[in-house]
Parts: sequence; C-alpha cells; structure tokens
Amino acid sequence: MSLKELAHPASDYSYAFLDAYAKRELRRRILKGIALPGAQIPYASRELPIARGWGTGGLQATLSLISPHDTVKVIDQGADDSVNAANLRRFITRMSDAKTTTDTLQATLIQSRHRIPEEILTEKQVLILQVPDPEPLRRVQSDMAKSREMHADRDYGQMWLVLYEQLVRFGDYVQGASYPVMVHNRYIMSPSPVPRWDNPKLHQAQHLTILSAGREKRLYAVPPYTNVYPLEFDDVPFRVENQRGWVCVRTGIQNKFMNEIPQADGSSIFEVSDTGYVSKLIQRDANPATGTTYFDDEGSFYHDGYLK
Amino acid sequence: MAYVATKGGEQAIDQSERFYHALKGNVTLEAVQTVLETMPYLVDRVLGEGSLYAPELAALALVQSGGDLYEAVLLLRAYRSTQPRIAYAQPITTERMTTIRRISAAFKDIPGGQILGPSLDYSHRILRTDVLEGGAVEPTPAVDLADQPAPRSYPLVADWERENRLLVQIPRANNPTNPSDIPDVTRDPITMPAPRAHRLQALARAETGGVLALGYAGMRGYGFTHPTVNELRLAYADLEMVHPISGEPFGVGRFRMSQAEIISSGGGGGVGYKLGYTATMGWNEVKLIAGATLDMEMNQAEPHPAHTEDFVLYHTESVEASGFCIHFKLPHYVTFASGMDSIRKVIQAEYPASKEGYTSPEPSESTKMVTA
Amino acid sequence: MDTLNNVVPLMAPQLITEMPLVRVQHLYQTYGRVRAVHDVSFDVYPGEVLGIVGESGSGKSTVLRLLNLQEIAKGGIFNLNVPSLQGENLLACDRYRRREVQTQHIGIVYQNPHLGLRMHYTSGGNVAERLLITGERRFKTLRDVAEDSLAVSEFPLDRMDDLPMRLSGGMQQRVQLAKAIALKPQLLLLDEPTTGLDVSVQALVLDTLKRLQQELTVTILIVSHDLGVIRTLADRVMVMRNGEVIEAGLTDQILEDPQAEYTQQLVHAKL
Repeated sequence: MSLKELAHPASDYSYAFLDAYAKRELRRRILKGIALPGAQIPYASRELPIARGWGTGGLQATLSLISPHDTVKVIDQGADDSVNAANLRRFITRMSDAKTTTDTLQATLIQSRHRIPEEILTEKQVLILQVPDPEPLRRVQSDMAKSREMHADRDYGQMWLVLYEQLVRFGDYVQGASYPVMVHNRYIMSPSPVPRWDNPKLHQAQHLTILSAGREKRLYAVPPYTNVYPLEFDDVPFRVENQRGWVCVRTGIQNKFMNEIPQADGSSIFEVSDTGYVSKLIQRDANPATGTTYFDDEGSFYHDGYLK
Repeated sequence: MAYVATKGGEQAIDQSERFYHALKGNVTLEAVQTVLETMPYLVDRVLGEGSLYAPELAALALVQSGGDLYEAVLLLRAYRSTQPRIAYAQPITTERMTTIRRISAAFKDIPGGQILGPSLDYSHRILRTDVLEGGAVEPTPAVDLADQPAPRSYPLVADWERENRLLVQIPRANNPTNPSDIPDVTRDPITMPAPRAHRLQALARAETGGVLALGYAGMRGYGFTHPTVNELRLAYADLEMVHPISGEPFGVGRFRMSQAEIISSGGGGGVGYKLGYTATMGWNEVKLIAGATLDMEMNQAEPHPAHTEDFVLYHTESVEASGFCIHFKLPHYVTFASGMDSIRKVIQAEYPASKEGYTSPEPSESTKMVTA
Repeated sequence: MDTLNNVVPLMAPQLITEMPLVRVQHLYQTYGRVRAVHDVSFDVYPGEVLGIVGESGSGKSTVLRLLNLQEIAKGGIFNLNVPSLQGENLLACDRYRRREVQTQHIGIVYQNPHLGLRMHYTSGGNVAERLLITGERRFKTLRDVAEDSLAVSEFPLDRMDDLPMRLSGGMQQRVQLAKAIALKPQLLLLDEPTTGLDVSVQALVLDTLKRLQQELTVTILIVSHDLGVIRTLADRVMVMRNGEVIEAGLTDQILEDPQAEYTQQLVHAKL
C-alpha cells in the first residue's frame, strides 16, 4: 500500500475548480465587501489555469458563486465573442456545468471586463467586474500600506487636489475610464476600467456588483441600492463620453456606448459595444425581447437628476 | 476583423493553441524524461518558482509549454491550486540536512570544511560545438573518491558567530513555530509589513530574474548592503512526518533544497553583523544570494525605494508579473475610447479647429447597415 | 494752546486676565541617546508672538515639530485653549485626531519649502488642498479662498497656477504662508521662515508677516537663530540650548539685558 494508492487521482478537480476552503474564504470576503460598500477586502487569490491579469479575480468570484442552476454571460469590452471572454466562458462551463447565454436578461451571473451592459440589471442578477488595479489612490500614493491608511482615515484630500489641478490645467476633468467614485459616502473606489458612460449604472442599482482583482488580491462590492457618486465639484459636473450624433452602423440606433472604428479614408464608423444587445435588436422580429436600458433612446439616464 | 471576431472567437483560440503546439515537438514521456535528466537546474528553477516540489511535473510543464519558463511556472502553480493539503511536515533543521555543497566566503576554512560539491563555478565556459557535429561528448571523468567521505551534515557558521557575540542581538520575535499557525502566503492575503513567514515564502518562490535584478542593484550600491556569503548550501533534506494516530515519526521522502545566508555590518540596526536569508526548493544559487541580499535590504529602516518590502515582494512574483505584462495584449479599446474622448476635449481646447468648440467626429458618409 | 487736554489719559497697568491659548508642560523628546528637548514648559497668549531662539541643536525646531503634532513626543502635555479641544492633551491623540487638529487649528511654515509644499501641484492648489481636506467641494470657492490667502501673503496672483518649483525662495515661502493661514488657524508656527533667503527678500517677507499678524491677530510661535528676526516680530522670546530653556521674557528685556551667561554670549556675538 503506497501513499499514491491512498490519494485521489491526480486529475480530480473540485466542483467549479476551487477547493472548498477557497470557495468558503471567497464567499466570506464577498460578504464582508457587501457589509463595507466600496472598501477593498484582501483575499488569498488562488492561481488558476489562466494567466494573472487575464481575469483570475473575476473568475474566482464567479466560481465561488456559481451552481449548475446558473446561467452565465461573459463579456470583454462588451463583446461576448471576444477571444478572452470566449476563453473564460469555456473554462467556467467546463468546471461548473452552468448554462451560458449572450442575452443579458437571461443571465444570473455576468462576468465582465471593462463594461456594464446597456440593459438594466435586476435584483436577481449579480455583476462581476474584472479589476486590474483596485486602488484608486495609486495615482497619488504608490505604497499600498500607506494607501490603506488613507482609506482608513478617509484621507482623500489629494484625490480632490488632482481634480482641482485638472480643472486649472485643462478646464475639465481628464480622467477617461476608471473614473473614481465615492461609495456610500465613505470609501473612494475604482469602478474598474469601465467607461464613464457606465459609472452611473452603479448608483442605486437593483443588482449586486462585485469587483475582484486576482493579481492584486483585493475584492470589493457595491450592494444594491447604494449611493455611488463620481468625484466632482458641486459647480463643475461630471460628464460621460460625448458620443452625440454617433449612429450604430449595425442597428441604426444612437445613445448607447459605441466603439469607434477608424476607416481607411480617415473617417470613423461606429457600432454599439454591447454585442448581446445588438444581436437582439437585429433579430427583433424573432425573440428574444430587449429590456429597458439605463440610457433611453434620447440618451437620458433612468435616474432623474443624477447626471447634470 | 482581427481578433474580436463577430463569430468564431472560440474557434480562433483553439486554432491558435494548435498552431503553437505545431511549432514544437510532441509532449511525450520520453521528452519529459530527457528534460528531467539533462536539465535538472532548469527543472529546479521551475519547481522553486512554482512552489511545488514535483520534478517530474515541472519537467512536464516545461515540455508542454515548449520551454516557456513563465508558462511552465503558471502550469505548475495552477496544478498546485487543485491539490488538497494532507498534513504538515516536521520542520527541517539545517544542521541535520544531507549537505553536498557548502561554502563560506567569510572565512578561509570553517568547522566541517569548505565543500565545493557540484558546481560550474570554476569551469571554463566553452561551448562543446563538437556535439553538434555528431561528436559524442566524452563522458565526464568520474569523480575521484577521497580517502575520507565528506560529512553528511555540518554545523552552522552562524552558530560560531553567535558564540563569539558577533551578531547583532535581535529581540526574539513571537513567530509561531507550530506548523499550522505559520502564516501561509498562498492562503492568506499579503499585507505590508509582512510577517517573517510571508516574506521568506515569497522569496522562496520569487521569480529568479526579478530577484537578481533588484539584488544586483543593492550590491552595486543602490542599497546599504555590502554582502558577504556567510554560508551557502545545496542539500537533500529529509521530509519527516508524524503519524496522526501512533505519533511515530516517519520519513516521507527526500527533496533538493538550497539556502544562503548573507552577512553584513552595513546599514543601521545595531552594532555588529546582521544576516539576510533565503531558502528555496531545488538548487538555485543566483536566487539565494540575491534574495538573501534583498532580505537584508528590506530590513533597513529607510531602504532604497526599490528595496522596500512592498516593491520587492510585489514585483518579483513570477505569475503575477508575467501575467500582467502580457495581459496588455488583450483588447483595451473601450478604455482607450474613453481616454480618447478626454484627450480630444483637451486638444480641441488647446488647438480649436472650429469656432463652435469641441464636437465629436463626424459619422462617415456611408451609414449602410452591416448585417451580422 | 492747551494740548494737554487732548492727550489720551494714561491707563494704569493691567493684569492679563485671559487664559493662554497654548499651554505646554514638561515637553520631552529623545532620538536614540540624544536628548533633543528636555522639560520645556511655556504658555503663549492669544495674539502674541513668541520667539524661540538658539543655535543649531538647541531643540527649538523639535519643539515646533512636536507642537505641529508631526512627531510623537516621549513626554509632555500640550493644550490648545479652543472650544473643541478643551482639556485635551494633543500629544496623546490618535493619528486621525492629529490630522484634524493639524488641519483646522494649526498652520506651519518650514524653512525648507519642500517640507511644506507639494512641489508638483500648483501654488493655488497647495492652498486649496487645505479646504479640500475639510470638505469644500465648490471649485469657485476654492479659487476665491486660495486667491484671498495668497493675496494676504502678498503673493503675485498672476502666478497662482505656477508650480512652486518654478518660484523663487521668497515666493515659495509666501505660498507656504498662504497655505498655513487658509483655514484661519488659531496657531501659526514659523520655523526659520526667512533663513536662506536674500537679505532684501527677508525684509519683505518679514514685513508681510508683521502685517499679517496685526491684521489676523493670529498667535505665532517663531523659531529663529537670527536675533534680528526675533526683535522685529516677537513680543516675548525663549532662549534654548541643548534642549532646555535657558531664559525667557520680553524680547526687549532679553535682548537688551540678558541675565543668563549663555544668552549674553549669544546676544553679544550676534549683535
């Protein structure tokens, strides 16, 4: 009788790849993140068969929540069929037997890199965002121990100073994606590199958002019905990207976040980034139905008065 | 339309992977055995960074990845993630390890002797190109047996220094010694300042090139340490466990491990000599010496910015560093679009093209709908 | 011509009945084996300017750093007689409270502007940061208050958006000053504020300080090894040596008629 004979076969995996301890720790950390909206919770990020920087944080969150009853949607830059999204989706289904979909309305779990879908998510859905850098204070403080102290002390003066300087130098805020937000009036949080267009979707949302950074080993959460405001001065409002007049070449619609595709003659064409939404619009006569969107056809946000 | 295809994303990655494998030899048991036999030091580097002592699996990882070191380490780490923890082994004592190479640069001779062991240190680095012309390499002459066998184990040089009161007194830290209480960097999130256990574990599995670069900078003068190798060892350590029911200790096997101590009087922190330490699974002398130097640098009250614990431990993590580096190949077009929006505003303000102020780019003339 | 009738009648000497704003008792600080400050006690009254004079190594700058709560003192009590800080020993409060007190009640100007300014943010931004820390969120207000503060410090407003590293030494000190008074603190600490500047610039900055002190009636603690600066600004002065207070009293008295031997040496050497 050898040790080898007593052990499980080398090829065995737990359900959803992560072992029970890993899942338990992740779930507890997620609960803590929900209890402290916007606060970064360190966790022991496991190595996965996918390279760091490629979504292992989001993946761990998804794998710790998933069950065979779930339907999962995976997108990257808004596209279901991006190679990275396809790869992650392949891994998730291999490990969990969950169903997959490209239809936002059908998904119970949505794992996304850098976009929030255009259709409004409900209380029955969980959004998991992949985060490269969880620390919004990094631009003013590169030492992680010091930035932790700054969060603890609500010592955010320098972040506001950065905005002041931008207004003095450029006349406007220049942060593109990853625009920092104040969550529950307590913590400054990075919403992950979603465009400014998607920031408002976190405010008083019906759904739970989990943000997870595998390489940096931090996760944080925005529970449903939580206040999330972009950092802005009272007299200089935050603005989303200016895409007015851009028409999607595939659907003819406007006022949804678009990709700009450079053309050989120097001009640009545009297409809606949310490919799941696009494919539903194109098949409008055949099912499935499209849901209400955060920004309506005229570009008004569904929470009145939130965007000035 | 390149790699964000409207359809067939899955097909594309499948073909891409096949292409990669087509450009190299097959993954066979024979290839694995060849690597294991002919490249044990490469195998040791992979299993050290993979933090999983499994030479066969490390060799397999190397063959499977075509020799891409970072891929091989990732394969091993991912596999490690799936393995259950059965029990903790007994701690290993340096004085009892079967040590086959043991040198000190601090003294001409030391109790037990300077043992060169297996090393290329004093060889002439000449490529044996005759091998490529079909000339067989003459088998290296066998090692001549000495009259007396070298001892299996050796006392610590540092113990002599302690007895002679040369080492700075460090207040006894309350580091846990019960194995199940020792912080585990693969299980706990790392926070700075890191507990001693986390730091040593991180150094043990650190990326060799990263540790070398930072350690080298310290040696060249960016740090405080003028390092002298106090003791460097290559050893076979016996793994012992205690039977959970009978309480009897028993041997589980033997594994290659190596360690180095650096000694220096430089920098702050008291009068006398200080030690820096790094140990790793497998034999990897470059990592040991550079790592031990960094251990000492990180202990300074005000280290060089590149030698703070934060800087060293975060940036010498093989899987994280290489993964994040290559993740920049992923599409970033939404982030880029958002940034472009901001930059356009600034450019427009700086160099106004039209009197109406900033306008978004005009849609192209042809707005023909493109079917999916 | 009976001018005597127009003369203001002389007032009888009055006792000071106000409580001191600053009360320091048995201040004590060591660095390793060096005793930097030893059993230093003093009071400062509202609106007063107290000078601390001494040579390098006397402990005078350490006293200032301790009062600015930027270092943990090994011993001592420091009270500010301000409604929200009644009875509190500021040397014993936690990190969060320290920052609160530093921001709202104390301003400091360092000899080396690199210590007091963020060199890579604009001068106006440096001043605005004080308001941002206390929660001001209107950009216009930030600009207005920064301007006002810089104007009181006699800083040229057209250079408000310049980085401090592009300014002369004298102007950098004015930015520090503006930053220090932006929130109208009760206590202003000046650590050799004019040392290292050109003599002519020194005179200008001193003028500004004098005017500022009169306009704002802020309480000032000024450290200097330069007796001329002390004479110009300070009402009272404390002489320090090797971490201890050698002598203290009215500036004129100390400088004209020093009692302690060390003070005598100091005064005669300098003047």
